[in-house]
Amino acid sequence: MLDIRGLRKTFNAGTPNEVRSLRGIDLSIPEGMFLVVIGSNGSGKSTLLNAVAGSFLPDEGSLHIAGQDVTRWPEHRRARLVGRVFQNPFSGTAPTLSIAQNLSLASRRGMRRGLGLAQGGEQRPDMLSRVRSLGMALEERLDNAIGSLSGGQRQALTLLMATWLKPSLLLLDEHTAALDPRSAEQVMRITQQVVSRDRLTTLMVTHSMQHAVTYGDRLVMMHRGQVIHDFEGAEKRRLRPADLLARFEEVRRADLLEETAADLLRRRYV
Amino acid sequence: MTLLVAALTIGLILALLALGMLVSFRIFSFPDLTAEGSITLGAAVATILILHGQPPLVATAAACVAGSLAGMLTGLIHTRLKVNALLAGILMMTALYSINLHVMGRSNLPLTGHSTLIDHAASIGQLISGGAESLQVLGRELSWHDLSAFVMVLIAVATVTAVLAWFFRTHLGTAMLATGDNPQMVRALGVDDRAMMTLGLAVSNGLVALSGALLAQYQGFVDAGMGIGMLVWGLASVIIGETLVGSRRLAHLLIAAVLGSLLFRLLVAIALRWGLDPNDLKLVTAAFVLAALVLPGAIGRLRMRQAGGT
Ligand SMILES: Nc1ncnc2c1ncn2[C@@H]1O[C@H](COP(=O)(O)OP(=O)(O)OP(=O)(O)O)[C@@H](O)[C@H]1O
Ligand SMILES: [Mg+2]
Repeated sequence: MLDIRGLRKTFNAGTPNEVRSLRGIDLSIPEGMFLVVIGSNGSGKSTLLNAVAGSFLPDEGSLHIAGQDVTRWPEHRRARLVGRVFQNPFSGTAPTLSIAQNLSLASRRGMRRGLGLAQGGEQRPDMLSRVRSLGMALEERLDNAIGSLSGGQRQALTLLMATWLKPSLLLLDEHTAALDPRSAEQVMRITQQVVSRDRLTTLMVTHSMQHAVTYGDRLVMMHRGQVIHDFEGAEKRRLRPADLLARFEEVRRADLLEETAADLLRRRYV
Repeated sequence: MTLLVAALTIGLILALLALGMLVSFRIFSFPDLTAEGSITLGAAVATILILHGQPPLVATAAACVAGSLAGMLTGLIHTRLKVNALLAGILMMTALYSINLHVMGRSNLPLTGHSTLIDHAASIGQLISGGAESLQVLGRELSWHDLSAFVMVLIAVATVTAVLAWFFRTHLGTAMLATGDNPQMVRALGVDDRAMMTLGLAVSNGLVALSGALLAQYQGFVDAGMGIGMLVWGLASVIIGETLVGSRRLAHLLIAAVLGSLLFRLLVAIALRWGLDPNDLKLVTAAFVLAALVLPGAIGRLRMRQAGGT
């Protein structure tokens, strides 16, 4: 479903602020797989998701979604295939528009938008039942501005919007990180529900080791713009948070070693 | 009475300008200086076409299209060439000044002796009145000509407002509203936010040019300098309207802009009547808009401080 080949991206190339955010990523996700991505801060997780969504074009490599080469597609065109929930609960909805207006926008993701009336009456029952399924009592507030809702409510709606039309690929970038623990669990529960009901191909970034081991069929760990671990099947199911923490510790030690080595060389020869 | 109706008619004509500013400034937060050029462009195009014997309706429609093109260019300069919003508008406004002079051939062009939309309205008024010159309203004399002009402009503005209200309830219009709110979100839902903004500026400047075309036909001339300060005029109307109506719903904001423009024009007429030097008009308007922009926030902070103190 998603095929990433030799993906590279360097920001601010040729300046002192040069960052090599993606250093050759190869990743294949078959249809219906739920992939979890972890990695330390700045390891390139968001950059990877942004590259797949089309927020910027990669320097090298190719991207295929649902058999189509989307490497050069602009972001709004990829939206036909990709549903997306951001880390920031404010990013996924239009605050001054009502819940119903936001949902009706999502009900035409990637489609032509003409002069037909949005949120026509026939859509209303569908909206009501889908919003009710969130279990947040938002169905009574369909005409309220989204800006008046809590972060958790907005994030749940963004998830609903991203999956209103079944996407070929669902991207979740730490979508529960900005929420309080209770809302985070609630949004995670809804995520699991939607993903398994529609058998969605999903890429989820998380900082929570607990979520990383509980959810998903496969887990990859990123470091410095590369995939350094890949667990699947029984191996993934056996993982415990402690195992992941141990891997992080390993990486940290290797980094330290590398730094002292570099230091040593510098002191010697420069 | 005549003065009052004249003030209201101009208020209505400039309500179209205010509606245009509502689209660019309120929806896209884009302080679009193109408006100062496109109002004159609309006036110039309509005037020159009427002078060349085109029917006034065709001339007015052409003015509207010309304004839209100017707005579209500003949109392209901003979104494609990545020029800062304010600068893109200034560039377009400056370029339009020369273009307008070319269209007009000189810096002031009268329409006298040619039939305009206002004259059409007046002749319909004549039919209804059965040839009477004037009528009594509240014990004052009002000419049929002025009344017909007012009614025609009222119908035009009501129609435009209704069309806009409908447009912003369509899929395309909703996407446009959302683009101003959150461009990242609309991209993720498959909307080309740059194209949407360009379209929004085209709509905005089309309205502004329409306002210019009607203004030229109402006052009977076009002047190359008539656009100066118009951005602030439009903003003043939008802000007064918002304060008046106090609702953020779009249909209400549209009506608010029209009411704001009417009220603003009335205030100006009264101030002039009381002896305000016309030269000071723009200074007073600017001061007023500054106050309207700053005061709500300042009052809010003051209240907060008081609430915190007690
Ligand atoms: N648009 C950008 N311009 C410049 N640098 C960027 C940009 N986006 C990401 N980077 C850099 O790329 C590196 C990887 O960032 P990224 O956001 O992908 O990390 P992450 O793994 O998502 O981290 P976190 O866990 O903190 O979210 C960082 O050094 C970041 O500063
Ligand atoms: Mg990130």
